[in-house]
Amino acid sequence: MSAIRLENLVKRYGSFTALRTMDLLIEDGEFMALLGPSGCGKSTTMNMIAGMERPSEGRILFGDRDMTGVPMGRRGVGFVFQNFAIFTHMTVRQNLSYGLRMAKLPQAETERRTLAIAEFLRLTPFLDRRADGLSVNILQRVAIGRSAVMEPAIFLLDEPLSNVDAAFRAVMRAELKQLQRQFRQTMVYVTHDQLEAMTMADRIAVMDHGVLQQVGRPIEVYNDPVNIFVATFIGAPGMNLLKGRPVQTDRGLAVDLGPLGISPPLGSAQACALRAASGEVIYGFRPEQASLAPPGEGIPGSVTFEERIGARSIVHLGEGSTAFRAVFEKDVPLAMGDVAHVLPHPDAVRLFDASTGRVLKG
Amino acid sequence: MSRSLSFECLRYAAILVALAITLVPILWMVSMAFKPVAEWQATGSDLTWIPKDPTLDNFRYIFGESSSNLIVALERTAVKPILSSLLSATLGTLIAMSAGTAAAYGLSRYGTGANLPLALLQLRLFPPMAVMIPVMVMWSWLGLMDSWYGLALIYGIVTLPFAFWLMKVFFDDMPREIEEAAQVEGCSRWRVFTRVTLPMMRAPLASAALFVFILNWSDYLIALLLTTREWVTIPVYMASLSSSMTGQLYGAKAALGLIAAVPPVLLGIMIQRHLVRGLTFGALRQ
Repeated sequence: MSAIRLENLVKRYGSFTALRTMDLLIEDGEFMALLGPSGCGKSTTMNMIAGMERPSEGRILFGDRDMTGVPMGRRGVGFVFQNFAIFTHMTVRQNLSYGLRMAKLPQAETERRTLAIAEFLRLTPFLDRRADGLSVNILQRVAIGRSAVMEPAIFLLDEPLSNVDAAFRAVMRAELKQLQRQFRQTMVYVTHDQLEAMTMADRIAVMDHGVLQQVGRPIEVYNDPVNIFVATFIGAPGMNLLKGRPVQTDRGLAVDLGPLGISPPLGSAQACALRAASGEVIYGFRPEQASLAPPGEGIPGSVTFEERIGARSIVHLGEGSTAFRAVFEKDVPLAMGDVAHVLPHPDAVRLFDASTGRVLKG
Repeated sequence: MSRSLSFECLRYAAILVALAITLVPILWMVSMAFKPVAEWQATGSDLTWIPKDPTLDNFRYIFGESSSNLIVALERTAVKPILSSLLSATLGTLIAMSAGTAAAYGLSRYGTGANLPLALLQLRLFPPMAVMIPVMVMWSWLGLMDSWYGLALIYGIVTLPFAFWLMKVFFDDMPREIEEAAQVEGCSRWRVFTRVTLPMMRAPLASAALFVFILNWSDYLIALLLTTREWVTIPVYMASLSSSMTGQLYGAKAALGLIAAVPPVLLGIMIQRHLVRGLTFGALRQ
């Protein structure tokens, strides 16, 4: 009943197009993350789903009902804002019960549901405190509670965790997921933080410059990016991309990476994809899906910089257009200036068309 | 880190000078209000800060009781001017604040372009003198001359741009998401305005209202031109406190001035908590 369907959605502001023909189906009870850099159109999409903005073209359907012209108060959605939008002149209790009171529910029912949501979000000790003196972390819980208490079938969250501190963000990620499991709402979650999208979402919709790039389960988006934007945007650090040309070697089809030499021979699927290509290609592999190899086997690069995050280390190799990175989960015997040979796992290699940026499929 | 002694000395000296400039005239007025005729007419070494012979004669005098020292009888007492000032300044403030707030909200949320707000503001650019004579003609034609409501109306009009501009800045600063959040919960636009926006704007509303009230309260020119007998305000009445026999009745003026200072000061104290918040409203969590 509460699936969300966006059909040919377009939003223009004057001559600027914020969103270009977006088609997306969000299933009932699904947790969908809209992920992309600032200005990619994700918040615009969200505002149109909520009814705060009207689409220039296209339709929005909840289930089978066309909601395009329905004002936001009658869409029955919950919305959590990035800056919380808490009514600071009210107490936490009044904030939480606001929607219930608006809907004129019986007082006992209002009371019961307010207390239940306060308990769930651990807000009970703050119920009678005025909202303007509370910390950011608590305010965001209140904001989530104020929407969740209405038990909306559709729950929209616009970067709800970007203003809270890192430790609390981790806690909230788990709690939001738990909230969604409990109430089974359809959740749409706007974020620029891929970690939030990857950990919470059932599916991710990656957007850039007002264009929907790819929709898929987190692991699909990570493993099989459809183009070089998704490949570099997803993953920390993003996928390594090296320009090259197809070349036939005695060990099979490979990519000639110019100054970096010939790539290791491709697996059968990628070889098949390469045969369909014409001209230049981009050879891509995830920094974390590679290992050190003896000279002559991997892709060579001199170490320019090493980032250590606990046991994990990100090694930056090469410079300019031939720069790439490798991530190792354990300590590696490398020093600045050393030449390392990095061997991508054969299954982890992805090839893209250099002119269109699209992935090459066999 | 503590600052050097000489810096602290200079700082306090500067504060002292500033205080002297602002407080001495006020204290002198307070002192004068309680002095008998002989003392406020005194000169040279006879001048004292503390009245030698403190009396409430000046207050009795302006409220119409005969005084042993002032034989001059007053044409009318201060009661009606005080009432006139209170009525016209209060109603004028109400008019300016309600119209100004509504206009500011509308333009802040739905307005486009910068011209309309500026057009409202340019009302303020007219020197009042330039328009007061035409206003006088209009008011006399409308039968609003020498009445507290006629005065209230022009006060409301003259201070409207001020109320409008202050409130517009406050509304512009208020995060829109708060209103959208209420709307998503099913609140109508009007309810959002009355139940969410206005209550959150209490502090800015209070400080804007105080400024507007003080402007209206201290007006002299408009009241001088639009009232003649019945509804003269405190400033106009104060100017008339003189006689051919005694010259300026400084003691009586001081007493009246002291009374006139009471409402703004009381209001200021009442909304003091809001005042600081109102002036620092931009500090809302964004």
